[in-house]
Amino acid sequence: MKAFANYHPAVLLLYFLSVLLVGMFITNPVIQLTMLLGAVLFCIMCTPSGRSAGGIAFYVSMFLLVAVTNPLFSHNGVTPLFYLNGNPVTLEAFVYGAAIAVMVVGVMLWCRCYSAVMTSDKFLYLFGRAIPKLALVLSMALRFIPMFKRQLHKVSRAQKAMGLYSSKSLVDKFRSALRVFLAMISWSLENAIDTSASMKARGYGLPGRTRFSLFRFRAADGVLAAVSVLLLGLTLVGTAAGATAFDYYPRISELPLTPFAVAVYAAFGVLSFLPFIIEIREAFVWKYYISKM
Amino acid sequence: MEILHLENVSFRYPKAAVNALDGVSFSVQSGEFVVVCGASGCGKTTLLRLLKRALAPAGERSGEICYRGTAQSALPERTEAGEIGYVLQNPDSQIVTDKVWHELAFGLENLGLPTEVIRRRVGEMASYFGIQELFRSDTDALSGGQKQLLNLASVMVMQPRLLLLDEPTGQLDPIAASDFIATLRKLNSELGLTILLVEHRLEEVFPIADKVLLMDGGHVLLYDTPRAVGQKLGAEHPMQLSLPSAVRIYNALGIDDVCPLTVREGRDFLERHFPPAEPTDDADASYAHNDEVALEMKNVFFRYERSLPDVLRGASLCVYKGEFYCLLGGNGTGKTTTLNVLAGLNRAYRGKVRIAGRPIGDYKNGALYRGNLALLPQNPQTVFVRDCLRDDLVELLEAQGVAKDEREKRIAAVAEKLGIVPLLDKHPYDLSGGEQQKCAIAKMLLLEPKILLLDEPTKGLDAHAKQVLRGVLQALKADGITILMVTHDVEFAAENADRCALFFDGEVLSADVPERFFAENNFYTTAANRLARSFWKNAVTCKQVVEYARAALRRPTGEGGETE
Repeated sequence: MKAFANYHPAVLLLYFLSVLLVGMFITNPVIQLTMLLGAVLFCIMCTPSGRSAGGIAFYVSMFLLVAVTNPLFSHNGVTPLFYLNGNPVTLEAFVYGAAIAVMVVGVMLWCRCYSAVMTSDKFLYLFGRAIPKLALVLSMALRFIPMFKRQLHKVSRAQKAMGLYSSKSLVDKFRSALRVFLAMISWSLENAIDTSASMKARGYGLPGRTRFSLFRFRAADGVLAAVSVLLLGLTLVGTAAGATAFDYYPRISELPLTPFAVAVYAAFGVLSFLPFIIEIREAFVWKYYISKM
Repeated sequence: MEILHLENVSFRYPKAAVNALDGVSFSVQSGEFVVVCGASGCGKTTLLRLLKRALAPAGERSGEICYRGTAQSALPERTEAGEIGYVLQNPDSQIVTDKVWHELAFGLENLGLPTEVIRRRVGEMASYFGIQELFRSDTDALSGGQKQLLNLASVMVMQPRLLLLDEPTGQLDPIAASDFIATLRKLNSELGLTILLVEHRLEEVFPIADKVLLMDGGHVLLYDTPRAVGQKLGAEHPMQLSLPSAVRIYNALGIDDVCPLTVREGRDFLERHFPPAEPTDDADASYAHNDEVALEMKNVFFRYERSLPDVLRGASLCVYKGEFYCLLGGNGTGKTTTLNVLAGLNRAYRGKVRIAGRPIGDYKNGALYRGNLALLPQNPQTVFVRDCLRDDLVELLEAQGVAKDEREKRIAAVAEKLGIVPLLDKHPYDLSGGEQQKCAIAKMLLLEPKILLLDEPTKGLDAHAKQVLRGVLQALKADGITILMVTHDVEFAAENADRCALFFDGEVLSADVPERFFAENNFYTTAANRLARSFWKNAVTCKQVVEYARAALRRPTGEGGETE
């Protein structure tokens, strides 16, 4: 999962937005399934092996929940399968529920990939351009939070080792937590004094501050950006032209399979699988380099 | 060339009755390594802060500070920010950003340098400091020593001419501290960087300094080469305690010679004045102790998580009632974990832990902490949760259900005993490190423990505060309290412990009385012992070396090696 994540943050953001835009607003089942499949492949690449069992259970139950809820509450559609409390449960509602479930789970998985790829520094880099002060504050917050947590743990333990409020009653627990929290505020302020001294000592506040980042826009970033825009454009044009139009209600329409529609499917397919393709390509290139070592 | 010049500088904090600095004049040549030392409250931090305009405290100031011939007030801000670097004591709180590379770049961003220049300078500095592997890490993932090196590196990227450091090794363990000092030395000798270092651990920095500035009550007491300072400072002066062992032994013996600074020079000095002999080994093999066992661990195993390796691997430990026991050992070996297991904060998955003869599992619902055992954590600040020390102590007694009038009495008694009566109405965070330590111990004593566990209580304390702590601990011991102390401070352990043990590889090794324990060690021993071991093997502290030496001087030459 390195090769893809190493692209420029702006390009990565563009890519994720493209996929999510299409995935969330185009209800064509081929598009939806492609998106889900792309997300699954991406997630498999993101997660280290042997650590996904719990996640799968969550997403499967999420899928089932959404898929089953829709036909129970929505009675649109013309093909009743059976009646529940006098209400028809229709085939259309079932299929639509499944489609929604595909979309929800697909989007969730893409978001998960997003958070794996767009680490805090990339996020800061992107949004710091617009608001440099905010970017620094966020970076400082990210620095501060783990330190705060550690100190909180230390204080709690120190208090526990004095036998203070160690009973199991809820009131005691609450009082104990409150005391520790108040102490942490003093500690934070104390800490902030040092931090601000360290900032001032290094010239913070001088006019004309610049921003440094490790990211560089390479040719490959340009290529990925262009490809993403092109594929997104093709998909959107196809949708606007009605090539992929698909209805669930009142009756499930026929899946459009005109050459234009297939071209749109293919374009979005490539877009969804881009990270996967890039990784595979990188793996081959790497094999080739290894053979030369 | 003169880089820094102070002319009659005085300073007074708002509402203070006396001057924090009083007529301070000195000058520093470019490329000099100056160590600033003095008892706590002597004004050394104030002085250092005044030298950095951006950090100068508010107050009344007179006199002239010149940087490279320019009055400080006339320096352009950019020059001031870039050319005068400042490193503070706490490695954690002075890190501003979340990534190592960003922290390195922070100062250069402030100076408004373009990306390409920053990239080059940051890369160069990361290589010089050997932290390129950490370049993309989170700053929070670094160890204390690495953090402090990062702080130094993020100042050095700005290419300062003058570096000011305020007790930068105070919060580091001895190995990280040595690394840090070695880096400073390298910067000084390779780059010609001018360094002003405030320190109280002088054993290592004293010999490498060009000048020592010794302050006392806001005055400059001495400003000279280390050798001359060692020679001139009276043998009875309280600052003697902070000086390197060689200097202390030299001064205590009062032999007319050149003042030795290092262990090697100290040994040469002894060799010049004492005839060579086989080292004596006359420590008493027997050890008298109470038969009752206060703390016992038998074959204890512990790990933090199921998938992590064992931290304690069959550790066994036995501390007798009324004993002062020191557990020494490297960083991250599991000393603190041992304390936490004994204090019931960590639970051993295998083995027996007994507190005062009863299995630790028998103490339920905090019974362990009521009248049995107290743990003083490494950072005494974590003990306090209120804005005022007295409230904090009252609250503790309240939670224990002590009657109202009884509370005042007990607090007064404890405060009296530890000499913290004047501190009772202060905010715990406003106290100095030594005072915080004393107050935290006071809080522990309100729990009326029979056993006191201490986690590195001497960390960051200067010689005087250590001396005070020593008095407190000895008094507690006299009251029959068992003390188990985890420490890096070999000198303190040698002076105070009844027994010392080494923690290594998840186990407690070789518990013995200090005289034997340190005599057996070659590296892990006091400087005084390393200096004198070829004469008197069991002389562990400076005081003992001096005693042995005096005894040897009294006897006719040639019999120096005989024992009494």
